[in-house]
Amino acid sequence: MPLEKIKRGDTVLEARGITKKFPGVVANDKIDFTIKAGEIHAILGENGAGKTTLMNILFGFYQPDEGEIYINGEKVNFRSPLDAIDLGIGMVHQNRKLIPAHTVIENIILGHPKAGNILNLKRTGEEITALCDKYGFKIDLKAKVWQLSEGEKQVVEILKALYRGAKILILDEPTSALAPPEMKKLLASIKIMTRDELAIIPFITHKLPIVLEVSERVTVLRRGKVTARLETAGATEKGLAKEMVGREVIFRTEQVEVERGKPILQVENLSALNDKECLALKGLSFSVHEGEIFGIAGISGNGQHVLAEVLAGLREAEGGKVFLDGTNITRSSSLERWERGIGYIPSERIDVGSIGDFSLIDNVFMNYYFDEEFSKWGIVDSKKIRELTKEIISEYDVATPGPDTIAKSLSGGNLQKLILARVLSRKPRFLIANLPTQGLDVGATEFVQNKLMEAKKEKAGILLISEDLDEVLSLSDRVAPIYEGEFMGIIPREEAKRENIGAMMAGLKHKVEEI
Amino acid sequence: MKLGSYDVKLEKRLTLTGWEAATISILAILFALVLFSFIFLQAGVNPITGYEEIFSYAFVNLYGLPLTINRFIFLLLCTCAFIIPFRAKLWNIGMAGQLYAGALGAFAVVFAFGIKKSPDLDLSPGVVIPLMMAAAAVGGGASGAVVGFLKGKFHTNEIVVTMMINFITFWLVAHMIKEGGPFMGAGGEGEGYKLPASLYAPLIMGVPFTVFIALGLAVLLYFLFVKTNIGYQIKAYGHSPSAARYAGISPFKIPLLVFIMGGLIAGLAGYHYFAAVPGVYKITKNYGDFGDLAFYGIICGLISQGNPLAAIPIALLFGGLTNGGRFAQGKLKLGFGIDYALLGILMITLVAFQFFYRYKIVWIKKEKEK
Repeated sequence: MPLEKIKRGDTVLEARGITKKFPGVVANDKIDFTIKAGEIHAILGENGAGKTTLMNILFGFYQPDEGEIYINGEKVNFRSPLDAIDLGIGMVHQNRKLIPAHTVIENIILGHPKAGNILNLKRTGEEITALCDKYGFKIDLKAKVWQLSEGEKQVVEILKALYRGAKILILDEPTSALAPPEMKKLLASIKIMTRDELAIIPFITHKLPIVLEVSERVTVLRRGKVTARLETAGATEKGLAKEMVGREVIFRTEQVEVERGKPILQVENLSALNDKECLALKGLSFSVHEGEIFGIAGISGNGQHVLAEVLAGLREAEGGKVFLDGTNITRSSSLERWERGIGYIPSERIDVGSIGDFSLIDNVFMNYYFDEEFSKWGIVDSKKIRELTKEIISEYDVATPGPDTIAKSLSGGNLQKLILARVLSRKPRFLIANLPTQGLDVGATEFVQNKLMEAKKEKAGILLISEDLDEVLSLSDRVAPIYEGEFMGIIPREEAKRENIGAMMAGLKHKVEEI
Repeated sequence: MKLGSYDVKLEKRLTLTGWEAATISILAILFALVLFSFIFLQAGVNPITGYEEIFSYAFVNLYGLPLTINRFIFLLLCTCAFIIPFRAKLWNIGMAGQLYAGALGAFAVVFAFGIKKSPDLDLSPGVVIPLMMAAAAVGGGASGAVVGFLKGKFHTNEIVVTMMINFITFWLVAHMIKEGGPFMGAGGEGEGYKLPASLYAPLIMGVPFTVFIALGLAVLLYFLFVKTNIGYQIKAYGHSPSAARYAGISPFKIPLLVFIMGGLIAGLAGYHYFAAVPGVYKITKNYGDFGDLAFYGIICGLISQGNPLAAIPIALLFGGLTNGGRFAQGKLKLGFGIDYALLGILMITLVAFQFFYRYKIVWIKKEKEK
């Protein structure tokens, strides 16, 4: 194999003039890209810039319409990802491709040519442990994958690629689901890998500071074309964002001072179970006021999702009470909550927040079908709902051919705009925003955050759930770090320090004063 | 692929108009007929003669046409009964049981008026016929309600439950009409009692009035799914139960509703065949055959892709072919099961051609290289 004898500084992968067209869109337009052994070369771009297509081409999942790929100077022609894997390319998927019911080690050896018919788990285990020690990963090889956090699952995918002998590692959004401490560990491991002459290609839409911190070179894509190739030494966060979006981006959303009104939502001693029937909320008590953003910071799986569902009426409370404007709504159906003025922006925007095969009109109607203004005698007022959809599209600048387009064809950012617009157009008294900017590019994130601020200005009470600490800190009036179903404290913004909150997210409730 | 100076490519369709879908279906039918010609040839029959026999008996012949129309009404009702739950992505495999329940309901009304004691009872059709239909609808609807309730409340698999209810109702009918059962006919030959002549369903130009009910329901259902709020909720539930739940659409009410509606219409199909078709007017010995025929409702529903208007021509075609195929088999002395082979080929081709609902073939003339 050509990639086994490489020296630092050799060009291990080169892509020349990669072009890929899909009906109606040129996803990749003459893209050139090179990476050397021991280098980290990031690819940046917004949603829909063509990153995924390029990644799939480099991994052999798609064949380019034009252009060539060279591995270690030799021209290659991938027919499938298997060809790419055999030549030493490893892929760490954002949507993890692991089997949840299997153990870590079983997942790692799955599909490995050495595995054969009889598994020698002991020897394999030793080899994988050696890899872990070398790169500083800590993971229980006998744990089942469903028990792992997102960060740990990512480690499993990386180990899988390394164990398969990857010399070039493609990382799809490696930082999107990680808490600050996990991220630090991952970056340290990546640094060690580059010392072993591995070439690393992270594909990234946001968290630009991290890109600057670790990578040596950056290629920026916009609308399928390379707009910039930079050495990170000379790049700034603002500069990169400008290349990605094509205009200036303001990084801090302006805080709006709104006088805090009376409490809208009051929660008393709320507890609830998760899907595995374990106690996921352990007696939360808090209130959200008019004109306030109450931010919940936490690493996913600490109960914040369960909380959002309980408040939206999609999951039963095990104990405790929820009041909206003084009325007990603990047992109310989700429909009743919508009618009372609760709005919910779910984190699962494709599976829950929208219906892919429905037109945009029908998607907007999801929050209006129960509204008598929009259907008389059970007949849908299609004119009215069409008008509303058109207004939403133009006001929120949703990029789409028109209201009859199906939702599936929207990019992530545009879909989120549509969902946000639809929920906000109801002028909710109380809004639950669950990971509203997750996976969105810089431009869409900025837009969503500004819209939340506008809702706050109009006196809505907002519960913001986010894994992005910077977002929580810059938007919230009060911050509640959540860990294993409990708030580690409720802290006004003025007193919230990044380090403090980060430690509390990791469960260090009692050490707060010392830090 | 290359053909001469053309490049032939498959391209994904982004939209599909009703006309395109209709054209594809017609092409599929023609293709199936061409394929089936080989079976005719193999049996030593000129395909043209073969098709002439089938189609002329099914759609022109004075004896064949009424049979076709009666089957068409029955199939269209069964198709509608399938389509409503299908739009909620739920599978109603229980039209057979629901139509048996409908038939039992209809005949129970006449039974309640004391038909067994005085067979020549003079009942007012204007009162009793609507009552029979209502009872048929209630019977079928109740049978469906059990399925919908179990689905909504306990997430049971609706396919298994509908199938099981088919068996239960099948034997319930046997219990009622055979060996001294309450609905047993005078002859005691394992048939139900015969309706008095006054309760024969009115005919309009020789066709039972139920044809208007079937066509009306198809149009109404089309309207339901295109225009109404409840139709929207059913579709939303069908496309994404989790998104529907998010929007506040009850995951209990929708399955219950669609199965009640579906069962109700299947119940009317039971009324139609046993109380409205000339020459029948009783629960026949071979009532199980009509249960089997009801399964074509699934086929028609799938081919029409859940569109009740598209189901009309398809139900007519299948009604005609089940009828004409059997006739031609006898007349041309073809082997047993040739009519089923024709239907089978037709179904497979229609389903296979749905590939073209999603893809189209594009011809690109290659530019001459300079």
